[in-house]
Amino acid sequence: MNSPSSAQMVILDRVRAAIAGIPAEPDAHPHPGYIRRGELDRHACLELMIERLREYNADVVECMPPDLPDCIEATLRASAHRTFLAPPGLPSDWRVSGFNWKIDTHLSYAEIEACDGVVTAAFAGIADSGTIVLHHSAAEGRRVLTLLPDWHLCILRTSQVVETLPEYFDRCPQPPALATYISGPSATADIEMTRIKGVHGPRFLNVLLVHDDAPGLRSTRNGDLG
Amino acid sequence: MRGETTHSVVLDPRTAPPFPEAALPILRNTQLRKNVAHATDVIQAKRARLVVEKIDWQELRSAAAAIKNEALAHLDQYLTEFATRCTAAGGHVHWAADGEEARRIIIDILRAEKAAEVIKIKTMTSAEIELNPALESAGIHAIETDLAELILQLGDDEPSHIVAPALHVNRSQVREIFARRMGRADLSDDPEALTAAARSYLRGKFLSADAAISGANFLVAETGAVTIVESEGNGRMCLTLPRTLIALAGIEKVIPRFQDLEVLLQVLARSATGERMNPYSSVWTGVIPGDGPQNFHLVLLDNGRSSILAHPTGRQTLRCIRCAACQNTCPVYRQTGGHAYGSVYGGPIGAILTPQLMHLEHAQSLPYASSLCGACYEVCPVKINIPEVLIDLRAQVVDQERTRTARAFDLMYIAMRLANGVFASAWRFRWAQRFGRLALWPFTRKDGWIHALPSLGGRWTMTRDLRGLPRQSFRDWWAMRAKEKP
Repeated sequence: MNSPSSAQMVILDRVRAAIAGIPAEPDAHPHPGYIRRGELDRHACLELMIERLREYNADVVECMPPDLPDCIEATLRASAHRTFLAPPGLPSDWRVSGFNWKIDTHLSYAEIEACDGVVTAAFAGIADSGTIVLHHSAAEGRRVLTLLPDWHLCILRTSQVVETLPEYFDRCPQPPALATYISGPSATADIEMTRIKGVHGPRFLNVLLVHDDAPGLRSTRNGDLG
Repeated sequence: MRGETTHSVVLDPRTAPPFPEAALPILRNTQLRKNVAHATDVIQAKRARLVVEKIDWQELRSAAAAIKNEALAHLDQYLTEFATRCTAAGGHVHWAADGEEARRIIIDILRAEKAAEVIKIKTMTSAEIELNPALESAGIHAIETDLAELILQLGDDEPSHIVAPALHVNRSQVREIFARRMGRADLSDDPEALTAAARSYLRGKFLSADAAISGANFLVAETGAVTIVESEGNGRMCLTLPRTLIALAGIEKVIPRFQDLEVLLQVLARSATGERMNPYSSVWTGVIPGDGPQNFHLVLLDNGRSSILAHPTGRQTLRCIRCAACQNTCPVYRQTGGHAYGSVYGGPIGAILTPQLMHLEHAQSLPYASSLCGACYEVCPVKINIPEVLIDLRAQVVDQERTRTARAFDLMYIAMRLANGVFASAWRFRWAQRFGRLALWPFTRKDGWIHALPSLGGRWTMTRDLRGLPRQSFRDWWAMRAKEKP
């Protein structure tokens, strides 16, 4: 019976023997050719982000920074839920009054499961695919917080939104130890390729887009202000 | 109906019948063929729509192939780098030369953790090493949490597709399986209701399980991180909730840099499910204090991969990122589904991967399970030239047969030697044609076609007709024409 280290030696020896004959090729990095930077202006990029989020049934509301607490309150109220989780680093003025807040200081799974929803910040948004990126900072919370509750309100700042996936990687000079990429609510198509929303992850994703860098709201079409 | 779906398949290339034999009963199963055709049509249409919108698609394919080539060309370095970084981040890295070693490592970890139950994310690699039966005989109950895998597990069935392993089962069959195994006679066959049933069936298990087993989509050498992409959230549950997590990954899953994901995630999601990004992707590095499993093991599996790496033509097989686009597009797979391939890896990629993993000791019929139309190469996001590898493997199979001692009695061998002699000289060829015309005459019907031949010839006419030889060969006609001219 092999000890773990001897299996390692065996495998690495086999691999070295196998690749000995591979002609040296220039490294694949950087790879020329594919699109790394988007071509949309800020306005169109944010439009795209919102369009993609709505494509997979996320609720999107836009607001200006001073209106953020009011917007959070309106969104929570519209959800008809009462008890919300807050990651420990969530700004205190985001925990608007009138609701039960559970701040995550080593909450048990049962305590988390008992909450109706969760409010978090985000690390980035990727417009091309409508992706919300979490690096799980203190304001984004540990992974379980955005997993067990059925309802998630994510506060995304416009300055965090990039157009393409490669642009997001440019914003990570230091690769994250932990990251979750959310591109739509939990879904399956395993039964006859019929897309069903909400298998195990949160079924309801709400995004509050805060215009912290743009000159102003794109427009208030469809009563986006909420 | 049940007997029709689950024709007691065991997907082990060592014991599986040859492809044509395994395919025959499936071709008569119209329900299964309908299910497979529908599912592959839907995925293909979604994929095509999103690939067209991506104007740099070909450049992304080239970049993805280059990244995987670079990783394979320096695989020893990248594996060592990955193992060092993962260990530094608190993970335990294990090396398994074959399936048996991997099973033993995983069972030992679970026993040390006193885990009687383990939740699983869909991992084809665990199916490849037949992990679930080994766990059961070690007294550890494995629970599949991917909806498709759960359908298969409860229905005693086997995966027939890499990405959607239960695509050969339809809604009423799922309803029947769930009603029987979950005790839910009230269930309707509405996919929404069936999905909800799976959700409530699994919810408690996610929260109570001590350990989870996952595969891996990518291992990042630069950081020691592991990446998993999924849709349902069962993956995130398994990666987050239990105390112990064991990830099983083939050695070819390592990529050089974190940034390489900017290419690979784009091509994988579009190719696999026809999405711009799959709903959930997770990246984690070793153990994250205070978040998720505090006990993380990663098992690096060889199990034949290093021998594939040694082969100049076959090597490209290891670029595969398991998107199943080649299965969806393959005219053969679309008729038979995955079970006929006798392996958890069906379709074109399975036809080249399985025989190579088996060192061509088994699954020799698979390289022939293709019309060489090239559709698989066209859609492959990492540009694996599958037809090229198929032809190379066919040559290897023939070489292997040639060295067999029994060849003196092998009809095909004798026929090929004869053909060799006939084609080597013009007059032998001419006489062979004349003889052939005479010999085939009794089998040629009035319509000029041969519908059935005996013996070796029957292997051809079993699946297609043969045009009868013309009364006059071109050479005879040419010679006569010259004579007639003044």
